[in-house]
Amino acid sequence: MEDRLSHIERRILAILQGGLPKSRTPYKDMAVQADLDTKQILAVLQQWKRQHKIRRIGAIVNYYKVGLEAGAMVVWQVEPERIKRIGEEMAAFKQVSHAYQRQTAENWPYNLYTMVHAETLDETRRIVQQISDACGVSDYRILDTLRELKKTPPTYIINGE
Amino acid sequence: MDEMDCKILNALQYEFPLSERPYDRIAEKLGISGDELWTRITALTDRGVIRRMGASLDSRKLGYSSTLAAVSIPASDVDRAAEVVGRYPEVTHSYLRDDQFNIWFTIIAPDRSRITRILDEIRADLAIDNDRILNLPVVRLFKLDARFKSSPNDH
Repeated sequence: MEDRLSHIERRILAILQGGLPKSRTPYKDMAVQADLDTKQILAVLQQWKRQHKIRRIGAIVNYYKVGLEAGAMVVWQVEPERIKRIGEEMAAFKQVSHAYQRQTAENWPYNLYTMVHAETLDETRRIVQQISDACGVSDYRILDTLRELKKTPPTYIINGE
Repeated sequence: MDEMDCKILNALQYEFPLSERPYDRIAEKLGISGDELWTRITALTDRGVIRRMGASLDSRKLGYSSTLAAVSIPASDVDRAAEVVGRYPEVTHSYLRDDQFNIWFTIIAPDRSRITRILDEIRADLAIDNDRILNLPVVRLFKLDARFKSSPNDH
């Protein structure tokens, strides 16, 4: 289990979760909002980066607008003894942005999850077929994205608590 | 989108500095004025290319629990179900997908028991049986890379 966040860290997270302030001095603005010094903000963010609590800070780009129009979640059923190797193989495809092993359910046997991106739906199909052939996994489902229902930054601190 | 826009997008995604005036640092690096950079960023944001400026956080390392969940809902009920699922601040992304399990969503919460409670409430609200809802927490992460390199021919 990770350490609990300190009071100062929670104040910073409460602001950071909604994104950086839209200003040319975002960290200074965060400091004003959190009633802290800019140096304190930068020190905590630098520490979080070192600890990999922050994976990345900067622009969140809408990739549907930079040419990748089609995305599908593909779920695969892989024998448990092969899943580590297959997961790594699938992750090596550049069109695969996410690859996870997940728990299964009684009525849902799929244990490997990939997000596959391409410019068109047909292209997505072709890449999925390629992955299937290369990794020798024939039991899969393609779950096309029909519509984005909600996309918000995660809310860690609710109502400032 | 011209070559400078692409350089800006890549710098904003991969090299955004933790310093007092991060945008001025990027402008300096790219050899343009701070004002020009800011004008271009504003335009890219207005066009929706830049969704927002922010941090991608590792919820587990911050001490939180997360899961991917799905419900199986008749097509006629999708809008109401999307509303029920979406009203939880702990639900971050939700997509309508082409499958028997058609609404997929991620939950981030302080602990597992909160996730279980949210899923129980959603199941009760939607009046669906246990076999119409899936809770699929991560066992192992192989790859997470939601970054995309930009090139000038992108629109």
